[in-house]
Amino acid sequence: MVQTKKQKYLFLAFCLVPTFILFAIFTLYPLFSGLYYSFFEWSGSAADKDFVGFSNYIKLFNDEIFPSTILHDYFLVVTKVIGIMILAIFFAVALTQLRIKEAPFYRVIFFFPNIMSVVVIGILWMFIYNPGLGLVNSGLEMIGLEEWARPWLGDEEWALPSLVLPSVWAGIGLFMLLLIGGISNVPKSYYEAAEIDGASEWQQFWKITMPLVWPQIKVSILYIVITTLNGSFIIVQVMTQGGPNNATHVMGSYLYQQAFKQFNFGYGATIGVVILIISLITVLILQFFMRREKVEY
Amino acid sequence: MKKFLQSPYLLLLAMILILGVIAGCSSDTEGEGDDQTEDTEQEDTQNEGSEDTGNGEISGELEIQYFVGGYGDSWWKEVIGDFQEKYPDVTITEHAGPNINEEMRSRWVSNDPPDVVYIDGAGSSETQMVEDGQLMDLTEWLEGIELADGSKLKDSFIVDPADYDGKTYSLPLVFDTWGTWYDKAKFEAEGYEVPSDFESFMSSMEEIQANEDIAPFVTTGQYPYYFLRGVLYPAFGAAGGDQLLADVIQGKEGAWTSEPVLEVMKKVEEMQKAGFIDEGFGALNHTQSQMNFLLGDNAYIPVGFWLPNEMANDTPEDFEYGFIPSPMNDAGEPMAIVPDLRPLAIAEQAENPEAAKAFVEFVFTREYAKSFSEHTGAIMNITGVDLADSNAPGYLIDANKLINDPEQVQIYQKPHPMSADLETPISNSLVSLMLGNITAEEFVQEAEEAAAEYRAGLE
Repeated sequence: MVQTKKQKYLFLAFCLVPTFILFAIFTLYPLFSGLYYSFFEWSGSAADKDFVGFSNYIKLFNDEIFPSTILHDYFLVVTKVIGIMILAIFFAVALTQLRIKEAPFYRVIFFFPNIMSVVVIGILWMFIYNPGLGLVNSGLEMIGLEEWARPWLGDEEWALPSLVLPSVWAGIGLFMLLLIGGISNVPKSYYEAAEIDGASEWQQFWKITMPLVWPQIKVSILYIVITTLNGSFIIVQVMTQGGPNNATHVMGSYLYQQAFKQFNFGYGATIGVVILIISLITVLILQFFMRREKVEY
Repeated sequence: MKKFLQSPYLLLLAMILILGVIAGCSSDTEGEGDDQTEDTEQEDTQNEGSEDTGNGEISGELEIQYFVGGYGDSWWKEVIGDFQEKYPDVTITEHAGPNINEEMRSRWVSNDPPDVVYIDGAGSSETQMVEDGQLMDLTEWLEGIELADGSKLKDSFIVDPADYDGKTYSLPLVFDTWGTWYDKAKFEAEGYEVPSDFESFMSSMEEIQANEDIAPFVTTGQYPYYFLRGVLYPAFGAAGGDQLLADVIQGKEGAWTSEPVLEVMKKVEEMQKAGFIDEGFGALNHTQSQMNFLLGDNAYIPVGFWLPNEMANDTPEDFEYGFIPSPMNDAGEPMAIVPDLRPLAIAEQAENPEAAKAFVEFVFTREYAKSFSEHTGAIMNITGVDLADSNAPGYLIDANKLINDPEQVQIYQKPHPMSADLETPISNSLVSLMLGNITAEEFVQEAEEAAAEYRAGLE
């Protein structure tokens, strides 16, 4: 029996309306109220708020700390993309191509940090970096490199780079699985043909594997960029609180500090709006640079 | 399936789903309020339904918000229980817990605050509440309040209430004092002298460093205000009295670059250069720094009175808490203490101000002050409380004696807490100074710039 138009629209409404309502409540409403509050001077803990027009934005453009938080964010974005992608590709190729017997076991091990809360990861790595008892300094001392030991998270120069390692460690598993999925879909016959033609494994990797898993790599990079820009504040908040002396503040943690610790909620909302704009621009630029024809052999 | 898709049941199902979502997300203020405090609310409902008769009798619902931190809640339970007994017509609702400030935020934002609030813990700021006009002006009411012995409450505080342009918006309940802690048992066993001024503090740290091969001083770098409030405030008090303290807290022009402040900061620089400050402090949160101290990795730590209570489960058996005012004073001068008061206040929009005032008046007695020390190991802000025959811990009895001896210890008062907008940038520069990345001169310059920015923000 053929559906009438009305029934078709009704079915579409049944599928779309609840989703749209939830989207409106949990995404659009906070988005627009954030934008709205950015035009107010408001402590966030009282009913009274004063409309101040663009003065929060003017203040933000004159803020000496905010530019460094953007740099810190992009430092984490770049180092995380490089670190996670290199290691995830390496492990994915190793576990699929090298015919390792314990591959399923390693898959579980590498994925394990992904099922842990970021807060737990942060606390765990705080212990690893502990100046006195931590694994890093103890390890360095054990191998005779005690002059390299330092209070990693308490050092203005080293605190931010120290956050890269836990972030990369926590991120590898998911992208490794994504890439394993991509590599598994590459027909074996391509590799066999390449082998007959005398291609080395390195050439097979660059000429077959990489082009064919490019869509997965692209998704992975975009995902790492977006989650870093939006979510790196959690690890900062847990491990350093933005310190020492703002050395590890990212845009998100600075927003949190302004809105909830310094009671400048309106200003915090302004930072939130700018984070949204910066994230959008970043993703658009990335998509432009990463556009590439889908390869099929 | 096709039949089902074509039937009116589909439409019905869709309507139910949509209505369900809308109903679930509708704003039922009453419901929201209840949800937020579901875990902590306790209502004494013996007299539910009774209302304020309007003839001066204390009745109706009284909502009390209090933060539960290092001091626990047993004292509050006792006081509220006694108040309930005295005023059986009052229905008391408690909003309490370690996150109560966050949980009650939406009530304050929607102008539906509790009647009484104890301002303490993360997410609370007395200064901000006064700036936002959320607290009742208690100036006149306080004039008429008397203690059981007939003395005026106003004259019985160890430290006066915070002063906002001559007005009182809160009554200081807890006399929290920052100071420097050490292991009394170890000091006695090793024969280390307890310092009484900066000179003896430095020589004590030198001796400990040489003997124990440890950095003698630690604090938390993640919360630099521990050092600011615990060491610098008393140092500023000792160097320039209440006036200097008020000037630096209010960010007065030239205060941070003044000679006495620079002298104090040079003392801090001296501590850093001598290697007395644990070089890992910048990475430590307050719990880690306190653990290191208890484990004997460091000998001195600046924390408030709550330290023994907070670390009760982690304190080694042979450890004995010893407390001194932070010894930043010059030789021959009395040591300095700057209390950090935790106040009790009444909401400007309190629905039952009469009951709220009755409760606040009820709390401030010497009897409850003594019981407060026994329950919490801290001091309530009332004079003339003899702890000698109480169950209060030894360090508290010692500290109480010290505080009441003006020849040994001078109490300096700050007008009100420093605004977070000034404290944050100054704390950041302080970490840099203590890490040895900037000099005392550079620090005071940075602090002065932060103060100028803070003043500009107030205009």
